[in-house]
Amino acid sequence: MLKMQDVSKVYRTDLIETYALRNFSLEVSAGEFVAVTGPSGSGKTTFLNVAGLLESFESGSYSIDGTDVRGLSDDQRSRLRNERIGFIFQSFNLIPDLNIHDNVDVPLRYRRLSARERNERIGSALDLVGLSSRTRHMPSQLSGGQQQRVAIARAIAGDPAFLLADEPTGNLDSLMARQVMELLEQINELGTTILLVTHDPELARRAQRNVHLVDGQISDFRAYEARPLAGTDAGATLV
Amino acid sequence: MSLSVRPILSALMRNRTGAVLVATQVAIALAVLVNALYIVTQRLEKMSRPLGIDVDNVFVVQASGFTQRYDLPASVRRDIDYLRGLPGVIAASPSNGIPLSGGGSATTLTAHPGERSMDGFNYYEVDEQGLDALGVQLVAGRNFRHAEIEPSRSKDDSSSFVANVILSRATAQRLFGRDDPLGKPVYDDLGHSATVVGIVDPVVGAWVDDRHPDWVVFMSRMPSGRYAAVRYLVRTRPGARDAAMRQAEAHLSASDPDRVITFVRPLSYFRDLSYLGDRSMGIYLLTVTILMMAVTCLGIFALATFNVTTRTRQIGTRRAVGARRADIVQYFMVENALITSAGVVLGCALALATGYWLSLQYQLPRLNLYFLVGGVLVLWAVGQLAALQPARRAATVPPSVATRNV
Amino acid sequence: MQAAMLGYYSHLALRSFRRNPGLTALMVLAIALGIAVCIMTLTVYHAMSGNPIWWKNERLYVVTMDNWDPNNGFTRGNAETHMPPPLMTYRDATAVLHSGIPERTAIMFESGGVVSGVGPVPVRVETRFTTGDFFPMFDVPFLYGAGWSRSADDPPQPVVVLSRAMNDTLFAGANSVGRTLRWNDHEFRVVGVLNDWFPRPRFYDVTEGAFSPPEDVYLPFAWGRALDLRSAGNVDCWKAEPLDSSEQFFASECVWVHTWVELPDRASRERLQVFLDNYWSEQRKGGRFARPRDNRLSNVGQWLRDQQVVDNDNRVLVGLAFAFLAVCLINTVGLLLAKFLSAAAITGVRRALGASRRQVFMQHLVEVALIAGTGAVLGLGLGALGLNAVRHMYATAHLGRPGGYQELMHFDRTGVLWAIALAVLATLAAGLYPAWRVGRLPPAVYLKSQ
Repeated sequence: MLKMQDVSKVYRTDLIETYALRNFSLEVSAGEFVAVTGPSGSGKTTFLNVAGLLESFESGSYSIDGTDVRGLSDDQRSRLRNERIGFIFQSFNLIPDLNIHDNVDVPLRYRRLSARERNERIGSALDLVGLSSRTRHMPSQLSGGQQQRVAIARAIAGDPAFLLADEPTGNLDSLMARQVMELLEQINELGTTILLVTHDPELARRAQRNVHLVDGQISDFRAYEARPLAGTDAGATLV
Repeated sequence: MSLSVRPILSALMRNRTGAVLVATQVAIALAVLVNALYIVTQRLEKMSRPLGIDVDNVFVVQASGFTQRYDLPASVRRDIDYLRGLPGVIAASPSNGIPLSGGGSATTLTAHPGERSMDGFNYYEVDEQGLDALGVQLVAGRNFRHAEIEPSRSKDDSSSFVANVILSRATAQRLFGRDDPLGKPVYDDLGHSATVVGIVDPVVGAWVDDRHPDWVVFMSRMPSGRYAAVRYLVRTRPGARDAAMRQAEAHLSASDPDRVITFVRPLSYFRDLSYLGDRSMGIYLLTVTILMMAVTCLGIFALATFNVTTRTRQIGTRRAVGARRADIVQYFMVENALITSAGVVLGCALALATGYWLSLQYQLPRLNLYFLVGGVLVLWAVGQLAALQPARRAATVPPSVATRNV
Repeated sequence: MQAAMLGYYSHLALRSFRRNPGLTALMVLAIALGIAVCIMTLTVYHAMSGNPIWWKNERLYVVTMDNWDPNNGFTRGNAETHMPPPLMTYRDATAVLHSGIPERTAIMFESGGVVSGVGPVPVRVETRFTTGDFFPMFDVPFLYGAGWSRSADDPPQPVVVLSRAMNDTLFAGANSVGRTLRWNDHEFRVVGVLNDWFPRPRFYDVTEGAFSPPEDVYLPFAWGRALDLRSAGNVDCWKAEPLDSSEQFFASECVWVHTWVELPDRASRERLQVFLDNYWSEQRKGGRFARPRDNRLSNVGQWLRDQQVVDNDNRVLVGLAFAFLAVCLINTVGLLLAKFLSAAAITGVRRALGASRRQVFMQHLVEVALIAGTGAVLGLGLGALGLNAVRHMYATAHLGRPGGYQELMHFDRTGVLWAIALAVLATLAAGLYPAWRVGRLPPAVYLKSQ
């Protein structure tokens, strides 16, 4: 479903050339829960930006559901992000001046959906994360964990191909962090592919597969058979 | 791309202060723009009213006799003959007053004897070259004839009126309505009559700010010098005025020891003085209005820029979840449009209230709605244009901003 | 606040300006423009609405009586004024003069005239015919000599008072008291020369342009009758009556005489009002004064308002100036708010490090004050320049004599002080709210990621 092949991302200044990603390859199948791990400076954020079509890359290829992203215009990339990718950010990135309902609504507005359909999707997304009683509240009235769950609702409301989560529990206490991770697992069980970027090995353990980044390259693969892939009969995918 | 106005409005309402301030500026600017333009248009209309007088080619000499020996008729005769002989002079006539000068004489006239009226008509005692000396056009009837010009009166003589008068068309309409006034009598307040022999149009009298500045009457009589000054109106061919003025001043100042030449001035001097107030008002209004629009415009621009720079994270997030560049531009333009529209609505009320007050003060008709519509369009367009560049700058915020951590 | 803190806050403010030069410039410029326009407009308005003899405002009065047409009120420019005519008939003015009630009375009219017999050429002069009380009544300053006493009014003595400018022209500025000249070929003796005197507006006679310069020569009022002269000022008549002879004119219903009285107290004012009303009733029996009774005593302030010295245009411009200043200030408030609140993170750090609300408020107030100061200074300069430019637009000095609107464009000392006060008050008003808002927000808000 998601296929990166020999992707390299270079940051060039007058003096220095830095390879944030170097010949990076990754394949993710539908329904997988993959964690990308690594210490700080390893290129995790760059990978996140490239995978999420937030930044371009210099060489290699990247396709989502068979669509090659090279050669896409900015508008086309935006559309692809809107329809295929659900973002979950470390700092939630909720819009402070909008209530919960309108926050979840934001990506839906960029599609041609009727008001009824949007409201339906928002309703079921908030139901899933357990916050349908709080639709009219403002983000500032919610705890960190609740805000992140709203962000998750926003990410899944559009029925994306995969979720891209960037240290989703980085700003949460341990109790809230556990709740959020359980929610993510729940969503994955329902069939949504999740790509989790984190430096926390404990979190990474919850995923089915780990990809470890060091200096922009994959260093080794460690697979955990914590949970089998939904819908498959085989066990872990060992690469 | 659906026009999602409601969420933008909700967000705006939660952060009202900046919006309220901008909307207030827009409101005041609209009220000022509409009314200032209205006043300016009124003044322009007033200043571009056809005068009927060949102002740029006419000059005026004022002479005051002061000795016991001063013989007004003879002195005037000599001076007029001299002036008529100057090169470039088309016509010269004595007169009791100066059009456009803000000073002169007025009398009551009626078309029916015994009728009471308080209408005042600005009158000029001139000879047969009087109309030519001003350059006013006869549109009906005839000019005075030389033989008809009565001598000046050394004192008021109420036993009779003047024999012949020429009326402005406005005067004729006031006195006679639609009837043809030629050959008919007009009466002074003592019941004596004069015959209307001609109509001139257009013409303006001494007071441009009067309710009826074109109520003018010409009388076929030499001025009496009652106020110890007599005027000579002189019209020249184009380009010959200044030379003629210099010559006239040089000669006349020394030619008669019993009288003094107070001044030799072009008629344009008086016209400019008459319209000075209106001109200045117009310049002032336009300048301040333009400055106000500029300040408002720059204020909108600066505030929009600030809104963009303080919301980069939000912009990045929106882009990350799928907003295109055009969607971001639209977001800020819609937000700005809401603010501008609120200001415009408030400004309309303000403009109408101000217009009403002005119409009371100036006793002018109320504000023409075209001005209001025009003002609304201009201000709305200016408001949106001011926000355009910041909105486009907002669209250049890269989506990767969303993944940066504070 | 100590000097050290003031210095520190100023340093911070300057750093802040350097970070946002465009924005700071915009704020300063907006304030400067708003203040400049206000200064220009208010200077003119103040000059126009001034009462140049304010210290005598409760002593000097114009007397007017409505002797007008029973069928129509007095009109000016073919529009009704709904007031008595501003001038009086000869009969009524002299009746007031001879009533003996006012402490002083000046009845007067203006005319032309020619002075000869002095210097190489005869000179055209603006002449005021008045009773001798004119000079003490209006506190007219003398350079040489003095005015004439009442005994010289009736029968009129051949005495004349010159303005300083006319004395310069005729006698090269020397003490000309005792010298003779010919006015319209009649001999007069100089008894006084005025010092510089140019009341703005020319309150005692606004009918010929409120900012005209005073006259060149002054002669006793009674010479008007004696020489059978007519006023060159406003002469308005309503009645259909013959005006052939001098007697007929001086006995007519035509109004052409200014009547000013000095009444030292309320009692004498009431006595004069009673006199006027009785005189009115008595004359009415003889067939005059057919209109409803309207005998007025108007003090200088009231008189200037009635005569509309400050016209609609001035008022509109004052309103416009304030509207413009409002827009500039609102603009500044918005920009300051945005600027202060967008630097919230830095402020939050300060608060976390121990700055109190008051200190944060003061810091930002200093920043506002600096902007205010710069804007005010710039605005004063622009205002003065603007006045200069407008003066040229209004210059009517082709005549070689002063007068007209241009006389109003002076920036006097009180004007400057008012302007500075206005500027400072305005900008503080603009900056107070943003500075207060910044001080109020708790530190935590700033540190949370957006």
